[in-house]
Amino acid sequence: MPESKKAWDWEITSKTSYWGWSVRELWSYRHLLGSLVRRDFLLNYQQTILGPAWILLQPLLTLVTYVLVFGRLVGISTGTLPPVLFYFSGIVLWNFFSDSFGGTSNTFRDNAQVFSKVYFPRLIVPMAVTSTQFFRFSIQFAMLLVLIGFYWAFRDLPSPFSLLTLAFPFAVVCVAGTGLGLGLLFSVITAKYRDMASIVNLGIRMLMYLTPVIYPVGALPKKYSWLVQLNPLTPLFELSRLSLLGEGTVTAGQLVYSFTFMIVVLSGAMLVFNKQGDKLIDVV
Amino acid sequence: MGDVVIEVENLSKMYHLGTIGTGSLRQDVQRWWTTSVLKREDPFFQAHGTEALAANKETILALQNINFEVKQGEVLGIIGSNGSGKSTLLKIVSRIVRPTKGAVRGRGSVSSLLEVGTGFHQELTGRENIYISGYILGMSKAEIRKKFDEIVAFSGVEAFIDTPVKRYSSGMYVRLAFAVAAHLEPDILIVDEVLAVGDADFQKKCLGKMRQASHSDGRTILFVSHSMQAINNLCDKALWLNQGKMKELGEVTSVVNKYISGTQQFNLKQEWATPEEAPGNDLVRFKSVELVPQLIQPGDPLDIRTPLTVKFQFWNMTDDVLLSTGLHLFTYGGECIFDVPSPATRCDKGLVEGECNIPGNFLNDGSYYFSIIVVKDTSVEQFYFEECLSFDIEDYRENIQWYGKWWGAVRPKFPFRLHQKEMIYQQ
Repeated sequence: MPESKKAWDWEITSKTSYWGWSVRELWSYRHLLGSLVRRDFLLNYQQTILGPAWILLQPLLTLVTYVLVFGRLVGISTGTLPPVLFYFSGIVLWNFFSDSFGGTSNTFRDNAQVFSKVYFPRLIVPMAVTSTQFFRFSIQFAMLLVLIGFYWAFRDLPSPFSLLTLAFPFAVVCVAGTGLGLGLLFSVITAKYRDMASIVNLGIRMLMYLTPVIYPVGALPKKYSWLVQLNPLTPLFELSRLSLLGEGTVTAGQLVYSFTFMIVVLSGAMLVFNKQGDKLIDVV
Repeated sequence: MGDVVIEVENLSKMYHLGTIGTGSLRQDVQRWWTTSVLKREDPFFQAHGTEALAANKETILALQNINFEVKQGEVLGIIGSNGSGKSTLLKIVSRIVRPTKGAVRGRGSVSSLLEVGTGFHQELTGRENIYISGYILGMSKAEIRKKFDEIVAFSGVEAFIDTPVKRYSSGMYVRLAFAVAAHLEPDILIVDEVLAVGDADFQKKCLGKMRQASHSDGRTILFVSHSMQAINNLCDKALWLNQGKMKELGEVTSVVNKYISGTQQFNLKQEWATPEEAPGNDLVRFKSVELVPQLIQPGDPLDIRTPLTVKFQFWNMTDDVLLSTGLHLFTYGGECIFDVPSPATRCDKGLVEGECNIPGNFLNDGSYYFSIIVVKDTSVEQFYFEECLSFDIEDYRENIQWYGKWWGAVRPKFPFRLHQKEMIYQQ
């Protein structure tokens, strides 16, 4: 029957490709992404007394701790900025990064059950995690704007907004891309070697101290500053403070470095994720 | 029957056994080095014969050289014992796992139902779960919207649709989950033994839905089940897998019959040439025991309709003794179903023969064994030959749309009458 020899719609072989996904396929599953985000959001606050208020309470409680410990006790300088604004801007952006990274790095481990029963583009799951985190970040960011407004109205903070403020979305996109990229990369590794999951958690916590979250780069002793500068997140955090609060040390060259790092990690991780993703179901 | 929509070519799947630990990292590095750098074949899957691989204790071949085609609108049943590779095959065709060798090619969209309630989450309400499960199984938003009311009606949980499913009874949960799945409309549907759940009424609904999907809507279905009744009723063709290899592929009834008679547990005849080696004691020794099924055609499976004859011979070592025998039938679980005595007969030294007929349409499907007791003077045990014959009886149903396990150790056909006694006329 010659008709049956015409082209097949799909083929499954042992070969997995780096380019094993199509934008069209991802697009056809966009509603799944939406409902996964909705699910994660609902699940987090189901049967809690305070509900979604935790999205704001969590960074606010962290803020209180930082102000007391690092501000009062240790006495780390926050430059000319009020400690509350300084810490809160750092916490909000850092939470976004660490939750995106940590959340996506467990993609295979957390979804082994459903991955082993049905096919859908696996990339949907880490994308949903990052989207959920972005949603939380947006709410926390609104809180940050309220705080800035408060300091501007009642504490004589000079209006921090300028043309530079427009650079803030760039910093956020780069942070999101880096978090997702690293998460995808490590999701492949944690699927096979479980001990990597604890190393990722520990690594994220240590990385925070190499990122200007609780201190400004300007206040660092020269001896150690190269180590912090090596961290591609550093220019992004400095840029975010510069754009929102008007104070931060960053050069264009550093931003190119961060951006390039993000692009390389994200595209590399996507390729590895596609290539390895389909094979991992055998081992998770 | 239209074009070929699924082509499986030379498909093999190998799994690594054992745990993944420090050793696996070294193997991974080795494999990467030989396949990616030296461009050679996988050192753990080399071409020097699959027999060598099968002998290797660290790997297992879940599937070996599977080849078949499925045409559009065809329903292919896949049968085989546990661990024969049925689920692995379905998972490969569903794109969940990758084959080690070979290829699957196809046309059209594929949906797989390998479990009930894929994507369901305990904390979410029925409504939210319908959407999320529908999306995961590949439905579009418009499709779910359109069928939402139908899905809810099919599941019969209307009143609880906005309650988290963790508060559902397990029956309601399964019904809702299946209702979503039953409303999928892919070109190719892959179903793995999901009919084992739910009550009889619901099973009937599900099978009806599947029959409709294949016969009226022209969908192609791959269907794994342990219920030969369901396979016989739904499928056009069947594939019998045995330890990862294709044993038989063809028209459904012939494959199913071969499968049943091939896997039935038989210990239908035992014979001993001399009294010295025969089981027994100083009083009685058995020469032979035999179960003769009266099959309509040789090679047919032994099913609930088959009349059975038990024949036995024993050497009696005592002169002038009043002997009787008892035939005991047990279920595999050890529960006695009957104890049929023979008439007492005066016997001398020599060979004694017995025969008992068990009519067809009497036993239920299941595994059974016989024991035979020889008694003197209707009260003194001479010898009890335990578990001397064992056999399986297969199920057979006609015009019955229900595939659950039939209750009871026996399934006799007693005369049974049902008629309308009077009618209520409504104005």
